[in-house]
Amino acid sequence: MRFAATVDGAAHVIEVSGRAGCFRVVIGDRVWEVDAHLSSQGIVSLLVDGASWVAEVQEEDGLFVVDVRGETYRVAVEEETRHLIRTRGGDAAGPAGDVVKAPMPGKVTQVVVAAGDRVAVGDPLLVIEAMKMENELRARTAGLVREVRVAAGQAVNPGDVLLVLEGPDKGAA
Amino acid sequence: VRVIRACRGLGLATVAVYSEADRGALHVLMADEAYPIGPPEPARSYLDLDRIIGAAKAAGADAIHPGYGFLSENPRLAEACLAAGLVFVGPPAPAMRAMSDKTAARRVAMSLGVPVVPGTAAPVADDVEAARVAREVGYPVMVKAAMGGGGRGMRLVTRESELPAALRLARSEAGAAFADSSIYVERYIPEPRHIEIQVLADAHGGIVHLGERECSIQRRHQKLIEEAPSPFVDPAMRARMGEAACAVAAAAGYVNAGTVEFLVDRERNFYFLEMNTRLQVEHPVTEMVTGIDLVREQLRIADGEPLGYGQDDVTVRGAAVECRINAEDPFGGWMPSAGTITGLRMPGGPWVRNDSGVYEGYTIPRFYDTLLAKLVVWGVDRDTAIDRMLGALEEYKVVGVRTTIPVLQRVLAHAEFRAGRLSTALLEAILPAIAAAEGRQREVAMIAAVLAAHERAGRVALVPPPASDAWRRGARRGWPGSAR
Repeated sequence: MRFAATVDGAAHVIEVSGRAGCFRVVIGDRVWEVDAHLSSQGIVSLLVDGASWVAEVQEEDGLFVVDVRGETYRVAVEEETRHLIRTRGGDAAGPAGDVVKAPMPGKVTQVVVAAGDRVAVGDPLLVIEAMKMENELRARTAGLVREVRVAAGQAVNPGDVLLVLEGPDKGAA
Repeated sequence: VRVIRACRGLGLATVAVYSEADRGALHVLMADEAYPIGPPEPARSYLDLDRIIGAAKAAGADAIHPGYGFLSENPRLAEACLAAGLVFVGPPAPAMRAMSDKTAARRVAMSLGVPVVPGTAAPVADDVEAARVAREVGYPVMVKAAMGGGGRGMRLVTRESELPAALRLARSEAGAAFADSSIYVERYIPEPRHIEIQVLADAHGGIVHLGERECSIQRRHQKLIEEAPSPFVDPAMRARMGEAACAVAAAAGYVNAGTVEFLVDRERNFYFLEMNTRLQVEHPVTEMVTGIDLVREQLRIADGEPLGYGQDDVTVRGAAVECRINAEDPFGGWMPSAGTITGLRMPGGPWVRNDSGVYEGYTIPRFYDTLLAKLVVWGVDRDTAIDRMLGALEEYKVVGVRTTIPVLQRVLAHAEFRAGRLSTALLEAILPAIAAAEGRQREVAMIAAVLAAHERAGRVALVPPPASDAWRRGARRGWPGSAR
């Protein structure tokens, strides 16, 4: 499973495999063998390549606040695919806001809207399955769906145009 | 909790009072009896004399120990106890009254030849007088609440143009906090140290001092780290400060435990600041270096016993440090962090004392101060004590609320602190530098966060869900692996 962890403004892709007792954690080109044990609520014991660490982990405003050896880190963790959607999706939905592109490779599992539909900001448009996760793409701008270029079941690559929205519609509340 | 422990040591039964917000507080759980005295707001419970006296009478108590907050420095409680036939574990009301007005206390000190910070001997009548005094003693000056304490009602003024606004703010703060808006003006001493002398006086004229505590590490005039002895005070200075403190206490007719606070400048001149007519939060460091249980002494003195020892019998051995574990975000403007303590691991080991008021699952009421625990250690010398404290802080785990633990660790490790170069301005001066995480543990932090998210995603559990056979599993023969 791949995550994007953002700390101090920098995003890191972290891959986690294995299971409790013997996680394999890959950050960049470094591989860590980690035994994690939640010994009390929010207090996590980590044996990282044999070194013993005790971290306090608490969730605050959607962030993980981690205290370890007197240092405090605020770490935003999301699944990598969601991170990609959020960041790349943001790029795609520029001021023009009328072309929705695939943020990552995957398969379209559901198309929620059809040509001619009026959408508001945040309305679901379609769902892409990637890395065994269903990722919902939502409208970044309000407007009219002019064209749907994909169908359920279709494989897509990053940058493929999925659907086209008519620019921000002043009439749509 | 501290008082209950001392009472137990003496075989005394204890009665706690609590507000509706404190039903789950540790003192309620530990006392032999506990009675509710009203709603969470302090004015309608802990500050309500009638309710407290009423609860004590109803419970058949013999004495009231006022703790170190709320009414502990209020002479009216002492008077009310007297009137109700209860023993007040503290000084007589007239002594409290004499010391609670800071300007009156200054006059007592001046009459004894104890140096005070230059300024007014009485509350200033108006802004014109304040301006005149400020010009006399020279800017910068401090504007202070006459009845103040804990840093409230204090304002630093660097030039005359700032004076009217500072007077207004100090008056309104003082009025709100102490129901008395009178203020006074004194010269500002740059980078002073806060050093205080612990005094014990019995009802038979016996009086000793137990040496000093240095409490210079403060944020917003609130103490954060205290130690005994002070790294700045030599035996001769200790003797002079101790004599001055005893003289002030004796002149006020003081009985029981009290603390005389001094400001100390860079040239080792000390100036009388005020006398606290109660047990101090930081009293444990004195207990650690003198071996004297101050609350036990308070109870003995209140019972009319003589001290039974003199100044020469008091010795200071080694060094002690206290850190205040507060529910505050030190790097977020010291914002109080209310909430429930979901995870808690407390430190232990030799010469480590953890005076805590909380437990796992405890919800911190939003009505009271943020102090969760006082962590105190002793060492043969200051360096040993600091190292021991760093170890204990590392062991201390609190999840659910932000605490002062990270800032305490960084201050203790700071070169200026280790060198003993302290002042009340030190913490704020070094805070920006120590606030930046050094980034050495970033990868471990990311691993911890990602594994937490991984677990949250429901894919794995870091521990199996609690099973019904947990007892049986705990009772199995021997543990796997070698026992160490």
